[in-house]
Amino acid sequence: MEEEIVDYALEYAQSKKIEYAEVRAQSQVQDRLTLRNGILEAYVSSVDSGFCVRIIADGGIGFASTNKWSKEEAKEIVDLAFKYAKAANRKEKLVFAEEKGVKTKWTVDQKKKIENISPEDRISTFADVDKALASCGVKIAATMSQCSIDLTTEYFVNSEGSRISSFVPKIGAFIFITVTEQGKTEQAYEQFGYSGGWEAFRDWNIPERMIHSAKVLKDVITKAKAVKPGDMDLICGSEVTGIAAHESCGHPMEADRILGREMSQAGRSFIYKGSQYWLGTRIGSDAITVVDDPTVEHSYGYYPYDDEGVKARRRFLYKNGIINEFLHNRESAAKLGTRSNGSSRSVNYDREAIVRMANTFVLPGDFAEEELIEDVKHGIYMKSFTEWNIDDKRFNQRYVGKEAYLIENGELNGPVARPVIETTTLKFWTAVDAVSKEIEFDAATCGKGDPSQGIPVYTGGPCLRLGKVYVK
Amino acid sequence: MSDILDKTEEIVKKAKGLGADEVIAKTTFGKYRQVRFSNNQVDITVAWNDYVTDVALAWKKRVVATQIHDFTDVDASIKNLMGLAKVSQENPTFGGFAKGKFKYAKSKPDKKLEDLESPTELVLEAIGAAEKEAGSKVDSGGILLTRFEDVYLASSEGPMGFDSRSAIEFSIRAFSEREASGHGVECSSTLKGFEPARAGAKAGEIAKLAKSPKVGDEGVYDVIFDPLIFGSMLGVWGPMASAFYIMIQMSVFVDKLGKKVGPEIVTLKDNPSAYSVSNRVFDDEGVPTRETVIIDHGVLKTYLHNASTAKMFKAETTGNAGLVSPNAWNIEMETGDYGKEELFKETKRGLYLTNTWYTRFQNYAKGDFSTIPRDGIFLIEKGEIKQSLKDIRVSDNALTMLGNIAAISKERQHVHWWGEADPPSLSPYVLIKNVHITKSK
Repeated sequence: MEEEIVDYALEYAQSKKIEYAEVRAQSQVQDRLTLRNGILEAYVSSVDSGFCVRIIADGGIGFASTNKWSKEEAKEIVDLAFKYAKAANRKEKLVFAEEKGVKTKWTVDQKKKIENISPEDRISTFADVDKALASCGVKIAATMSQCSIDLTTEYFVNSEGSRISSFVPKIGAFIFITVTEQGKTEQAYEQFGYSGGWEAFRDWNIPERMIHSAKVLKDVITKAKAVKPGDMDLICGSEVTGIAAHESCGHPMEADRILGREMSQAGRSFIYKGSQYWLGTRIGSDAITVVDDPTVEHSYGYYPYDDEGVKARRRFLYKNGIINEFLHNRESAAKLGTRSNGSSRSVNYDREAIVRMANTFVLPGDFAEEELIEDVKHGIYMKSFTEWNIDDKRFNQRYVGKEAYLIENGELNGPVARPVIETTTLKFWTAVDAVSKEIEFDAATCGKGDPSQGIPVYTGGPCLRLGKVYVK
Repeated sequence: MSDILDKTEEIVKKAKGLGADEVIAKTTFGKYRQVRFSNNQVDITVAWNDYVTDVALAWKKRVVATQIHDFTDVDASIKNLMGLAKVSQENPTFGGFAKGKFKYAKSKPDKKLEDLESPTELVLEAIGAAEKEAGSKVDSGGILLTRFEDVYLASSEGPMGFDSRSAIEFSIRAFSEREASGHGVECSSTLKGFEPARAGAKAGEIAKLAKSPKVGDEGVYDVIFDPLIFGSMLGVWGPMASAFYIMIQMSVFVDKLGKKVGPEIVTLKDNPSAYSVSNRVFDDEGVPTRETVIIDHGVLKTYLHNASTAKMFKAETTGNAGLVSPNAWNIEMETGDYGKEELFKETKRGLYLTNTWYTRFQNYAKGDFSTIPRDGIFLIEKGEIKQSLKDIRVSDNALTMLGNIAAISKERQHVHWWGEADPPSLSPYVLIKNVHITKSK
């Protein structure tokens, strides 16, 4: 990364008649390992490095990027961004919410430096997962494992005096398995993610997690009963809590979506001015508070400053069941007359930063997990999920249980096969009557943007008890 | 042009000189331009210039790959890559990169796309068309994307060539009311024949019809799929034919070669030919791309292969090589005998779906999945649209739905939209019987 060229690009942009300019440079050392049925298909290792310019001129925004590091190329992309900003010809001029320039450097610590882990060790760590699965007593028909390592160096400057340098190492893993028993198949995947060093692998304990998954799938085939559909109590494990927090709280609270900027792709939101849902209105029970917090150290979605140079902080999205605070970047904040809360993220130098979640989770309550279960006469404990989706206004959602159990008279009474909750955001969060003390996180890749920007996040929370919801 | 091809070939020679058994290098000079708009105004215009050489090499069946962004840095990159190969793990199933000298079809890029100066005008034209159909209060958003790529490929195994690929894609979603919308797309490899207003008019037309929707009922319906939503289904079935997805069992087509997977009227092909936004004259191994019949009159004929998977399956490469695994490029469904209106007449009581999103599987091998229709959901009674609906979900099985295709239209549309109707396809109107619909309770 050549900071001199970045500074030159900003200087050149400022020589034009602009309202705002920023240059964001990024260099990513990327390693990708793909194993199929325990065999290393390919080890892909590369460095992607480039920079982008974003300009506001005449109330329009232009963006251009390149991976060619030269002053001539910098000049060309500044000219392009400037031309495109002016060509927008908007009736409603765009401005950014006010921010002061920031000068800082930040990094994420590694206890065990990824750079010091040899490719052989990286490969064998993953191959060990397949070896463990092969001897776990479950018939594994197929596996696919992917490991991603990203060492990202970033340099951000803008026309308001910001100069921010950062370095973030991230590791991700994705394992997909197919179990075959009695001529039937079941499938599951697990995802892992961490900002930091190779020490993540010790904490993840992937072989043990995958063996557990395999045994769960075997039980689904060989032991699980079907659910008798009807209204019943439902305990959501932290994984289900987390996906619900992400899908039916985090996404509808993205201000760009609320304002319509994503209308053609990810959609809009059930929350909008003039609807029955807006800031200050109730969407759930008193028992639930959902936050989005980029400052959780070593989380997959960790950052102390966002990609517009705004300091990050915890955002209280649903607070005690009330719609409380949207996720904002500087563009959406200006439109709604507020300040950015540091939610602007981009996956790379060649993508514009847009409003994103970081780590979205439900805050813990007062109950032990056992206490949630012991009060249930007839219900389901959906510990984890498989198929899921939600409509593009983020109101109608569906979660299909992966590991799930029948609860009778306060006790778990055997596995159930693929229980389904298909309900609305309002019904889901309103039905929560108890929240457990313990909180857990899961790594995920959140999709949004066009071109798509899959971005690392955590989802999570405690166990939730939903009273009398329809399960089928 | 030849200078870049020479430099690309030089990378191959250097890697061979360092001891690599087989090497492929592919240099892409890409220019991409995008206009994003919402609320009838341009939000941002984006330009990407991307220069990259993808290098894949094999040494004693160890397969490694990298990207080089600067021809001045080739020596160090190749040395590092060879070093990685020497400590990597053997892939005993690797069957080698494609071998042979090939002649390629002539690329037919549209140079006008590379020099398109005012894409904003095309966007405004489409917004105007949506307003004409649905009224001046219609609220439209979407994207216009142009793509121009020069691709240079050299392989130690013989293939060498140049391809120039152009594409323009437009997507517009128009809202006539908060919960009434329509979506239109227009995709082409050339400016000639590209009519964004056609997509705008379709989005506006559906948005107008979709006004005052009621919550739909659960049940089993005969469903007419618009080409856009059927493009999403083709985006399910097409990639499931990749040999890689077969091997990891993320496919309903495992162990189905030579077997009946659909009715006689179903013929599916992969064909990245000149009209398609994913046009290409060779794949990532330098094998000429071609029309590949995946399902022939209901019978699964082949998986999609690169040279290595072809060897494993005792087949021939189908020209679908990607960097690691075979990819579907552009799925075509053969036309049927029905006019669009005839499909409606066939439907006594059913649904007409125009678009969908968020398709997710609980089991790819079995095919159980759900997806959420959006942008115009209509109840059909006695062949006519009776009511606009909302808030329903298709909760069914991908193999069963393929088997329940009952009628296919004569007309087809080239569609591609975001990650939902992807890869691109040539998609007709299709009637599928007995589709399971669920909703929130």
